Amino acid sequence: MATYLEINKKQVNGEKWEEPFYLNMGPQHPSTHGVLRLFLELEGETIVNCTPIIGYLHRGVEKLGENLNYNQAIVLSDRLDYIASAANNTAFALAFEKLMNLEVPRRAKLLRTIACEMARICNHLLWLATHALDIGAMTVFLYCFRDREWLLNIYEKICGARLTHTYVRVGGVRQDFTQEIIDDLYKFTEEFPSRIYDYETLIDVNRIWLKRTKGIAVVPPEDAINLGLTGPCLRGSGVYYDVRKFRPYDAYGEVNFVVPTGKNGDTYDRYRVRMEELRQSNFIIRQCLDKLPETEGEPVLAENAPDLLMPEKIKKPEPKPVPKKGVIFRGADVPVVPPGEAFAAIESPKGELSVYVVSDGSNKPWRLRVRTPSFVHISAIPYMAKNHMIADLVAIIGTLDIVLGDSDR
Amino acid sequence: MKILEKALLIEILKGLALTLRKMLFTKPVTIEYFDKVRPVPAPGFRGRHALVRDEKTGDTLCVACMRCVRVCPSKCINVEYEVDKETRRRKVVKYEIDALRCVYCGYCEEVCPVNAIVLTEWYEYVGLKREDLFFNKEKLLKNWDEFIATQKRPYLNPFWKPRGIPEKFLPAKKRQFTGV
Repeated sequence: MATYLEINKKQVNGEKWEEPFYLNMGPQHPSTHGVLRLFLELEGETIVNCTPIIGYLHRGVEKLGENLNYNQAIVLSDRLDYIASAANNTAFALAFEKLMNLEVPRRAKLLRTIACEMARICNHLLWLATHALDIGAMTVFLYCFRDREWLLNIYEKICGARLTHTYVRVGGVRQDFTQEIIDDLYKFTEEFPSRIYDYETLIDVNRIWLKRTKGIAVVPPEDAINLGLTGPCLRGSGVYYDVRKFRPYDAYGEVNFVVPTGKNGDTYDRYRVRMEELRQSNFIIRQCLDKLPETEGEPVLAENAPDLLMPEKIKKPEPKPVPKKGVIFRGADVPVVPPGEAFAAIESPKGELSVYVVSDGSNKPWRLRVRTPSFVHISAIPYMAKNHMIADLVAIIGTLDIVLGDSDR
Repeated sequence: MKILEKALLIEILKGLALTLRKMLFTKPVTIEYFDKVRPVPAPGFRGRHALVRDEKTGDTLCVACMRCVRVCPSKCINVEYEVDKETRRRKVVKYEIDALRCVYCGYCEEVCPVNAIVLTEWYEYVGLKREDLFFNKEKLLKNWDEFIATQKRPYLNPFWKPRGIPEKFLPAKKRQFTGV
């Protein structure tokens, strides 16, 4: 431990040395949402210093992706942020499509947007459930999981899986919706606002909730930008920034929604922002569903999209054989994917998720780099936890909404 | 007013009233799994693997084109074949799937040109040993028999012929396919 953590010894009364109290929180602690380990330096119950230690869930997704073809790499993206895998799929697919200059059909764009917003609702429901449970509200947890189950059942009908969807593929989506799914989603969007109202009745003005969240982990707007926070954490500090609004991808350009922002930048404001996002997501799904009949019957995959099984080599058609002895004519290799680089960023439920890909012309990415929000958000924990109690650390981890699969990759 | 609200615990009573209302007037959403309710997965659920049994020959439909082997992101499929010298057709000798390695993406059933492999909607499978979830050809065919007995015929898995995919992407045999 001492190799990379400086242990500060404090001199008291001239001769007596007193060590501060060190505490390991995690990696098995249930409220660290996975395998995050926090090395705390305490003074009484107050946190003086905090060092997050990550890497317990490292699977080498970037390197693995460089050994698989473009469509297979999307399968890996499911395992990054496994709570909202449709959003990750979209980020990967968008980067690859930019590389290949593909134009996605409008219906596929709408379906992707619906899947992404469903992922946002799923993610925020799980966040609200666990955040409330960490702070001490059990009932909200049960209600949130009940509603998340509803969405997961719809996901099961859409793509055959509940958590690791692999729904998006390069150039479109895997499958079209059926009428049953559209009816289910209409029913959900009608019912869901009343469910949000239920959660708010339970915790919005609850005095324990207010005491645990108001004034905890305040991040001023400048610091939020400097720390690299994105998503609801940045908007909670009052910074008006959303990739969906500023660089619209998929069908976000053609839907109306409001980007909610907070004021004080504390835990309570971030909670309010996310609750408002639930409503906006619901509204976006509704708008996309209304637009779906316009594109009835359209294909959901671009005509020039790559096959799932991308060829390793494409040969130019051979020229006509010239009768000459001793010369064998062979067609030259044509790049499967145009060489170059591409970058795509999306507003994933947790923050800005961006993918950078470099191609050398083969069917596999030469370099695949993923910038995930959880990794950056973990680096903000020491700043936010300073001079707070240990009990508040649980609220801080909850409010940042981190998933360790996302951070370690 | 605010002091009165605080003293009378109004917001907490509101929350309690909501819980009570939900308790009395709504049905429970939890199910008693296994004993009373066995949920039916949606069509196209990606569950246990199976090889479709050809009803004429009683063997698999697989033509050993190796497309599933190449498309598998986790490389969990192992196929060996031999070529018949007279008819020049490939015959599957070994077809193995390591279900513990599988990521259930469903790419194999999508690229299969003859709809020989399927991820069935069978989700209740466990193994007590590692070998129990290592499927060889016989086990995969047995999985299919077990699965198809519970299904309506003709059975068509959505991933054999995904909805909304242009015909260009489907192999010729899949375009007219209506089910087994």
